Amino acid sequence: MSEAIIEVSQLTKQFKSKTAVHKANFKICRGEIFGLIGQNGAGKSTLLKMIGGLMYPTSGEIKLFNRTVKDSHPYFERIGILIEHAGLFPHYNAYENLDLIAISYGLTSREEHINKLLKLVGLDASNKSKVKNYSMGMKQRLGIAAALIGSPDVLILDEPINGLDPQGISEIRRMILELNKAGMTIIISSHILEELSKVATQYAILHQGEVIEHHSREQLLLQCEDRIEIEVEKASSAVPILEQHLNINHYKVISEHVVYIYDSHIENQHIIKSLVENGVTVHSITKHKQSLEQYYFLARTGSEGDSHD
Amino acid sequence: MINIFKMDFHRFKTNKMIYILLLIFFAFQIFGIYMLKTYEQPGENGGMLISTMNESQFIQVIMAQTPSWMLVYIAVFSVYFYMSEYSSGFYKNYIAMKNARMYSVLSKILITGLFTLFMFIVMFIADMIGRSIFFDHAALGDGGYLAKLLIGQFLLHWAFSIVILCISIISKSLIASIVVGFVLSLNVLGMVISALESLVGQVNLSSFLLVNTIVSPRDFHHINDLIHVAGVAIVFILLFSFIAVRYKIKEDLR
Ligand SMILES: Nc1ncnc2c1ncn2[C@@H]1O[C@H](COP(=O)(O)OP(=O)(O)O)[C@@H](O)[C@H]1O
Ligand SMILES: [Mg+2]
Repeated sequence: MSEAIIEVSQLTKQFKSKTAVHKANFKICRGEIFGLIGQNGAGKSTLLKMIGGLMYPTSGEIKLFNRTVKDSHPYFERIGILIEHAGLFPHYNAYENLDLIAISYGLTSREEHINKLLKLVGLDASNKSKVKNYSMGMKQRLGIAAALIGSPDVLILDEPINGLDPQGISEIRRMILELNKAGMTIIISSHILEELSKVATQYAILHQGEVIEHHSREQLLLQCEDRIEIEVEKASSAVPILEQHLNINHYKVISEHVVYIYDSHIENQHIIKSLVENGVTVHSITKHKQSLEQYYFLARTGSEGDSHD
Repeated sequence: MINIFKMDFHRFKTNKMIYILLLIFFAFQIFGIYMLKTYEQPGENGGMLISTMNESQFIQVIMAQTPSWMLVYIAVFSVYFYMSEYSSGFYKNYIAMKNARMYSVLSKILITGLFTLFMFIVMFIADMIGRSIFFDHAALGDGGYLAKLLIGQFLLHWAFSIVILCISIISKSLIASIVVGFVLSLNVLGMVISALESLVGQVNLSSFLLVNTIVSPRDFHHINDLIHVAGVAIVFILLFSFIAVRYKIKEDLR
């Protein structure tokens, strides 16, 4: 199952004075829902445009389906994209727009295919109103239908939930999960981690053009679990005490001095007492509670600190 | 290629704007002929009366006028057809397919050629109708000569549409492209360069300019004139098609 179908290495995009994406590395495997998180201007759209074949990288490499991509490539045909705004003619209705795309793909039974897609995204095939009169949510859904016309293996959705009401958001989420269940690999970007946490299986955080973290869903949730962080003289001498005296099994040694404990039922004083009694010096102990948003915020500010050094 | 052309063609034939442009052109062409009748002065046009001209002579008189309305319509259409797709972002739906960037430009070139052809047909019909109404005759004259004239001028006009298409692709601006199209239709460039040449003497670059070639009456009986017209048209068609395709292939799309 874990065959990488998209792989980017050292991918960089430089606009005149601005590096929009800087040496990004990651892999996306078949069947994943890959969440790309980053603030406005982080470089999400630029990154996705390079993967979708709209923009050329300044340097670095993109591999699609195990082939290195150069210029105009048939592998792009297996990728459906909805990047930034859906590309639709405002003066045509939904059906006419999809029909034009279907013609460009050389599809034969267009009508059947289009009606199926319209149904999938929850749009009324008999609605003859022009796309310019559509609501944001309807345009997004039509954009997804447009991206699906060529029956792609990979679907790229750039901020598909932007500007939608809660009902629209949950509908799009349901649609994404449904498509994924049917075997489609999906890349979805957002500036709100919470939004993706409900669907994505992998996450990459993009900040000022750099991929600063890359996690599986489990790892991410682990980061955000409640924990006790202790700072001691020597972590290696603290561990046996935690295990034997306090019966703590769920912990992680972070560094020479720092240990995270995930058994949150244990009292702080209890830990201090046992450690001190057994001759381990404790420098600090803190209970740590973190929401996804806090975590995301910290990851960003952390990387900012680094880059200013 | 064929699929992308089919798509553009589908958009072409289902677009009301195109029929409206052709209709307005038709109306103005008839109106223009009426005005010619009203203000006709004996002794104009090298002593020849419009009422005694055949279709070839008539076309050359009309085409020598600037701004060339024909060129203005062609420019408006070329800019519109390209920019409406570009600014809607519709190209995003297919442009990543193999060679789609090149095909998309080639297909636009064919479509502007088609529009140019329709313009010529409308012009011809309007001339026939207008001349028989206002001048009581619509003689075609030498059929072979007329055919050579029409084909030569068609190629030149098509080349013009490609130049404008190329400008739209590179400038990405509707307004700028239309303005440039209009200025070119006035043959401003041709006049400026001719003026400079008359100062310098010896050189004759301006006769190879596209719009200048369009507005200069020629004798299509002469092989030199034929070669000149065909040469200018083909060079411009190839050169600007090439630039447009190259640019599109390299372009970072929004
Ligand atoms: N075509 C472009 N030319 C110049 N700068 C650009 C272009 N596209 C994006 N940028 C810049 O690159 C950065 C990343 O933009 P973008 O990829 O759109 O971010 P996001 O989608 O995460 O909001 C921004 O600072 C933006 O201003
Ligand atoms: Mg964006």
